Amino acid sequence: MAAPTMDRPTSAAPAPVQTLTIAKALNNGLRASMEANRKVLVMGEDVGKLGGVFRITDGLQKDFGEQRVLDTPLSESGIIGTAVGLAIRGYRPVCEIQFDGFIFPGFDQIVSQVAKLHYRTQGRLKLPMVIRVPFGGGIGAVEHHSESPESYFAHTAGLRVVTCSNPADAYWMIQQAIDCDDPVLFFEPKRRYYEKGEVDTTAAPGPLFRSRTLRTGRDVTVVTYGPMVRTSLDAAAAAEEEGRSLEVIDLRTLSPLDLAPVYESVRRTGRLVVVTEAPGESSISSEIAAKVQQECFYSLQAPVLRVTGFDTPYPPSKLEEEFLPDLDRVLHAVDRSLAW
Amino acid sequence: MTNNMATTTIEMAPDGADHISPPADADLATMLLIRHFELALLDLFARGELHGTTHTCLGQEYVPVALVPLLAERDYVFSNHRGHGHYIARFGDPAGLLAEIMGREGAVCNGVGGSQHIFRDRYLSTGVQGESLPVAAGVALHLKRHEPGALALTYIGDGTWGEGAVYEALNMAALWRLPLLVVVEHNGIAQSTATGAQMAGTIRARAAAFGIAHLRVENSSLTEIRATAGPLVERVRDGAPLVLEFVTHRLGPHSKGDDTRTDAELRQVRAADWHALYSEALGERFAEADAIAAARVTRLVDEVAARPPAVWSKA
Ligand SMILES: Cc1ncc(C[n+]2csc(CCOP(=O)(O)OP(=O)(O)O)c2C)c(N)n1
Repeated sequence: MAAPTMDRPTSAAPAPVQTLTIAKALNNGLRASMEANRKVLVMGEDVGKLGGVFRITDGLQKDFGEQRVLDTPLSESGIIGTAVGLAIRGYRPVCEIQFDGFIFPGFDQIVSQVAKLHYRTQGRLKLPMVIRVPFGGGIGAVEHHSESPESYFAHTAGLRVVTCSNPADAYWMIQQAIDCDDPVLFFEPKRRYYEKGEVDTTAAPGPLFRSRTLRTGRDVTVVTYGPMVRTSLDAAAAAEEEGRSLEVIDLRTLSPLDLAPVYESVRRTGRLVVVTEAPGESSISSEIAAKVQQECFYSLQAPVLRVTGFDTPYPPSKLEEEFLPDLDRVLHAVDRSLAW
Repeated sequence: MTNNMATTTIEMAPDGADHISPPADADLATMLLIRHFELALLDLFARGELHGTTHTCLGQEYVPVALVPLLAERDYVFSNHRGHGHYIARFGDPAGLLAEIMGREGAVCNGVGGSQHIFRDRYLSTGVQGESLPVAAGVALHLKRHEPGALALTYIGDGTWGEGAVYEALNMAALWRLPLLVVVEHNGIAQSTATGAQMAGTIRARAAAFGIAHLRVENSSLTEIRATAGPLVERVRDGAPLVLEFVTHRLGPHSKGDDTRTDAELRQVRAADWHALYSEALGERFAEADAIAAARVTRLVDEVAARPPAVWSKA
């Protein structure tokens, strides 16, 4: 591959605070990273001309050229493997995996190379690469367009795994992930892509590998991430009308987990509900339950409860409403916790 | 090697209305049924009756229809994301498929599989690209041992030749002399990416690299296709895998409303559409059959849409 071009477009200074969708915030974030660092490359299936199936890379090939935005063949293993090669030579590739279910042909490279090269080379090789994955259901689609595979990656030492839940995080976290010298799996809640929020483009809301308390409360702590953050916040608003005060924490980082704010919260509330769209078996939610019972044992007033997708393959779209945790299921768990 | 099947490449005369031999009524009816079925799906999406993704085989309908008499019931068929035509050609059951896609009573898989994940008898599809090839090779190995003479067919697009699993399967099929028939629907594009931007070399040369025979069909005349492909498919049954490449055209968007091709490109695709060529070649007979198929599908949609939801029952 030829070296990337040096010249890059200069964009007009944007307004500092903008209202953006998550999709647009990601697009702007990618653009900002590409403008700031010419080593940043974007690669994936149909990311160039089409701008990706969700248009997250819309316009990037037009503005940064085909040297920096590469339409690849249908080759997930090849995409991730070549990104490893580019990364160990100093590029900062950002790979798009079109849908969650298509990361599996690339799983081999992720687990055997991406996760291990830094360790195997005693730190002599760095892998500053990002693998972006639209994940989760709720879009009326087939199973391989609706899965939540994040736990596989959080289980693998050597990978960092993050997920955004709102436009400000989307804008900043993608840039922080690109700046990170370690490989980052970046999960994007696809059914929330078109939800809007304010983005302050002058200041990051905080570091990448930190969870954040989005709502403070007294009675029950709700820990969640990605697409379930909106659901949990809605549940907290509904609970408030019934006089129940929920604290909602957005994990943001799934590996490493940043549970200090969770422990602190649970020590106050004595109750924890973990909400994920992913099935619960051997998962991030089970990990959190294990750690919280270990760290907060004497504070717990009730067992840690989990609200998750079911331990089945993702169902046909007509049934997904049944599968996906919703406000009622979260509130039901809150009731059970309080009734303990 | 005792039986060297290597690299037969046969090229057929290019397409054109003057090359179309009149098809049997039943074949014409099936091709048109698939055409109107796919148009109806796009219409259902536009009306908000269907959600998610669907990939229509508009422009490629003749491919599975051409293969029907070359296949036996005991042969396996593995289909992909663009598989409605494959299913209808095999089973003549548009109602079961539509019910599956709409999640209505009578659905082939109780509505659990949807458009892309169908299982019926010896027919299995998946929308995850490339994965069917090794699976088909495994079935072919079983067939070779236990039902000699039967074959496993797998449909694959040109873009899917980017996936590594394809080559692992081709290697095993050649090495173990498996009755594997790989039918390529080479429509020149994968989603938004033109073949030239995603494939180095040719499918023919890739088949040749494994010593696998290859037939390239640039023609939509059923009689011609069957006459040329028939003998090669018979050799597959004896353990000589074959890559059967159809040069064809994707008339519609990849899924819905996501076509990135220019008007000029689309005009070319439409001019090469078998539907247009057949219409020109057959005149009145074609128009009548087309109207019958359209009316049949309209009735079908009304009938299936009125059914109650599918119920997920145990087998
Ligand atoms: C492993 C995998 N990666 C990505 C996709 C998304 N996808 C669905 S169809 C398609 C293009 C397929 O192109 P081709 O094989 O040429 O078949 P066509 O769609 O043209 O019939 C892509 C990228 C997928 N289904 N599976």
